[in-house]
Amino acid sequence: MTAHTLGRLVGRLILGLAAFSAVFPMFWTALNAFKNRVDIVTPTPLFLFEPTLDNFAYVLGRESVFAGLVNSLLISGAAVLIGAVLGLPAAYAIARYPNRWSRDIQFFVLSLRFLPPVAIAIPLMVIWLDFGFYDTRLSMIVTYLLLTLATIIWLSVPAFARVPKEVEEAARVDGYGPYAIFFLIALPIALRSLIGAVAFAFVLVWNEFLIALMLTTSDAKTLPIVASELTQLGRDVPWGILNASVVLLSIPPLLFIGVLSGMLNSAFKRKTQ
Amino acid sequence: MSQKNSLPAVFLTPAMGILAVLALVPTAYAIYISFQNRELSRPDGSLVGFANYIDLFSDRRFINAIGVSLTWEAVTVGMTLLIAVGLGILLFECVSPRTRNLLALLFLVPVILPRVSAAFVWKFAFHPLYGIATYPYKAITGQPLDLLSNPATALATVALVDVWQWGLFFAVIVLKLLETLPPQPFEAAKLDHARTWEIYAFIALPMLKAPLISLAFVKMIESLRAFDLIYVMTRGGPGIATETLDMYAFSQGFIESGRISYASSMAVLMMIATSIAFTFIWKRVQ
Repeated sequence: MTAHTLGRLVGRLILGLAAFSAVFPMFWTALNAFKNRVDIVTPTPLFLFEPTLDNFAYVLGRESVFAGLVNSLLISGAAVLIGAVLGLPAAYAIARYPNRWSRDIQFFVLSLRFLPPVAIAIPLMVIWLDFGFYDTRLSMIVTYLLLTLATIIWLSVPAFARVPKEVEEAARVDGYGPYAIFFLIALPIALRSLIGAVAFAFVLVWNEFLIALMLTTSDAKTLPIVASELTQLGRDVPWGILNASVVLLSIPPLLFIGVLSGMLNSAFKRKTQ
Repeated sequence: MSQKNSLPAVFLTPAMGILAVLALVPTAYAIYISFQNRELSRPDGSLVGFANYIDLFSDRRFINAIGVSLTWEAVTVGMTLLIAVGLGILLFECVSPRTRNLLALLFLVPVILPRVSAAFVWKFAFHPLYGIATYPYKAITGQPLDLLSNPATALATVALVDVWQWGLFFAVIVLKLLETLPPQPFEAAKLDHARTWEIYAFIALPMLKAPLISLAFVKMIESLRAFDLIYVMTRGGPGIATETLDMYAFSQGFIESGRISYASSMAVLMMIATSIAFTFIWKRVQ
């Protein structure tokens, strides 16, 4: 065996281990979610056991989890929707009508990402308390709009820039106005990448934790907060229930994995052409 | 595209207006609160000037938090890039395109998980009695292994989860970057009998210098968001061994005393430090 093939073999082994480490922890968590407590609290990890649906039934039946799920869906959904309605046109304007502020605008949008979330959350808590909107869905949607709007603009500018200019020129010659070109030409052509950008924004706010922790106490609590409260339970920990709630929390983002990987592919394809 | 029309103004103004209000109002308010002595239990504070800032510099927990945060940044950024480049090259070199795409998809799983989920999954995996990651150690030595309660290993253990999420994700990006490189320099080097590692060390990676620096930049920004992992896994403990700046600001403002003005002054300092550092790096990258 030559050194080269041996090297390849070792390389494949390392890749295999990395792929195993990527998926096994979540698989193990999902497995634990179907176990009775006695099958989790064992000296040796169990792979064969009698599955139970009790954990999921308990989690889904709990009012706090259900409320968290509804809050998460409403808050993330509304923030992403408003972010897309306002952000996509703005991104198109930046991509297609560059002016002397374009670079500054892009830097401003990116710089929002530098802000430590704790630095936003503390003053916002005081502001929402003063206005009487603390711990409401409305205040959470407005706060998350900052995240979704900035993210959608940032990711959509390159998507619009990739739309061939000739197509838009041809439409203009055919008598389309600037707005018609955006809605009827640019938007449909860039749609695939734009869906990726919007999906990314959704995953971002669905997973958001620190701001939600500071801005909600009961009524508007999102699912990550409810799940984390379950994980902080004391000694007699209901491990099966914890695993089930973590699985529930992780399903929506994982549904978008195909879309996000497609966005990654198209983002890097541009450079090869 | 030079003809005058209303589209840029109509499309940009609402979005930028909202972003400006949502970003600037809290920022300005954070600065304002930091000059007061406001507490959660006492909504009306009075102005105290720089008192909070002066107190910070004699606060040993604050100094400790700066150290933890800097260590966290250095370790997570460094390890993430190391793993990303290593695995990215292996993906490019060792497997067929089809396996490559499958592995790339699997490598995206950790980063897509909510950080709360990732934190819990690993917290349970590292459980001294029932954890699957600590099981081999327990089976061999007969002793439980409690990494998260040991001040010497707690931060590294949490950092492992962060690197697990970002290192695998960035490996996919490094792979995509390698795929965009023209093949000619590689072929020329092979004709000159260059070894594989030499091709990467002297040709491929220098060609990717700019995007790799951008990746480091992105990771530095993302590493500032350590809070979720630390909150679920250790809550800053044991003691203050894993207490980063945002964790300390949170516990000052919420858990312990509700000193929001004091927490705010910390947040303002973080904001200033990160803005200066990142504006500087951004201008250099451009």
